[in-house]
Amino acid sequence: MPKNVTIFTTNTCGYCQMVKKYLSAKGVGYQEVNLDEHPDRQAEALALSGAMTVPVTVVTKNDDSQEVIVGYNLAKLAPAVA
Amino acid sequence: MSDSILVYGADWCGDCHRTRALFDQYNVAYTYVNIDEDAAAKAKMLELVDGRNTLPTVVFTDGSIMQEPSNDELLIKLNLRPAADETATPVVPEHDIIIVGAGPAALTAAIYTTREDIETLLFERGVVGGLAAVTDKIDNYPGFPDGVAGLTLADDLRKQAERFGAVIELGEVTGLKTQGDKTLVSSTSGDMLARAVLLAVGSDYKKIGVPGELEYYARGVHYCATCDGAFYRDKKIVVVGGGNSAVQEAIFLTRFTTHIDLLVRSKMRASDVLQKDLQKFVDDGKITIHLNTTTDEIVGENNSVNKVVITEDGTKKDLAVDGVFVFVGLEPNSQFLKDTPVELDEIGFIKSDDRMMTSMPGVFVAGDIRAGATMQIASAAGEGATAALKMREYLEGQPHPIQN
Repeated sequence: MPKNVTIFTTNTCGYCQMVKKYLSAKGVGYQEVNLDEHPDRQAEALALSGAMTVPVTVVTKNDDSQEVIVGYNLAKLAPAVA
Repeated sequence: MSDSILVYGADWCGDCHRTRALFDQYNVAYTYVNIDEDAAAKAKMLELVDGRNTLPTVVFTDGSIMQEPSNDELLIKLNLRPAADETATPVVPEHDIIIVGAGPAALTAAIYTTREDIETLLFERGVVGGLAAVTDKIDNYPGFPDGVAGLTLADDLRKQAERFGAVIELGEVTGLKTQGDKTLVSSTSGDMLARAVLLAVGSDYKKIGVPGELEYYARGVHYCATCDGAFYRDKKIVVVGGGNSAVQEAIFLTRFTTHIDLLVRSKMRASDVLQKDLQKFVDDGKITIHLNTTTDEIVGENNSVNKVVITEDGTKKDLAVDGVFVFVGLEPNSQFLKDTPVELDEIGFIKSDDRMMTSMPGVFVAGDIRAGATMQIASAAGEGATAALKMREYLEGQPHPIQN
């Protein structure tokens, strides 16, 4: 189980819902940064992911290493939060 | 200690479903505890496993506990397979119906099959609700006089299917093979057998295939307005396409952007109603329509787009923009069927007979992916219902009692 998971989302993004749904199903807690509510944090999401898209999921592991997953990508998300 | 095996699970949990199907197959008695419906049981489970909130959690009669066990581990635990015997054939879980996809066609089919108590498992590799879920607003689906948000429609369809017991597994189907009178479905969750399969894998937005498109993917080139539009607050963009999606999404994007150039290869193909809506934004100076205009190249530097090269009425010109959103039609998600007997048309859509069955026995098709489909959510739902009834006929081996 990772130390911390932060997801950058928007109100209208279906793939963001899927990431949240997957994490809830696996019992992984997360913090959500909704960019519609916090447009000032958009640059942060862009810097982390290098992409102008959401969802961006930042997984902080127990050794404090970080993995950034762009989009709804189960092949990367599943092992990152296992 | 308990006199029955307890399976703590939830209806949305694919592994729970797999575990229960395995127990059913081997006639192993168990009690299913849905932790979503029983908070006390959930608390009890968490106490048993030191807070490791993973499903399914299986508590055996000897008090031992397994979390998220594989079928192999379960069979060994229950002495149903000798651990050392590697020659034993692995047990393949079996389902009545496996639906590949979970868009409107798939979910409607699942509502019909599960309501008739035909056990149904759906696979979704992307968004539950499919392209409908990432569409901002749907104005032509019947029953919603004011239109409906794509996400809302998708979520309601999912709830309706799950209410009758449909199970959605988040994973991908990678191949199909006929095995006796069943179909062996290979997936990211392992192999499984289905008495009937419904291919409702839908379509995805097509690419335009110009230089810069791949290079700047998600860094200025986008195919999902509802996902990526927010990055274009107070920016200038182009939308490529002249159909319903292009117009609908361009209108959605005006809430963020300062100006949109709509690049239409030939003439507008969007419905009259949408074109009327669009005209309001044209009159306000928020959208400019360019007809007879091809998008030739997407140019940028430092990882972001700064212009597109277009040819308008035969004249080449540059448009300074921050981003490009592409909605130029749909392409079929049928790549995984290439090595199967399922016959595709020249574009990649799936051919079917009048029972909606493909060239592979017991494998049906519905929705956008079916050759001849009209690419509408309402039609996809209708095709899903039809396919469900045809699959029931197939499973019963007899025609529907109400003849037309």
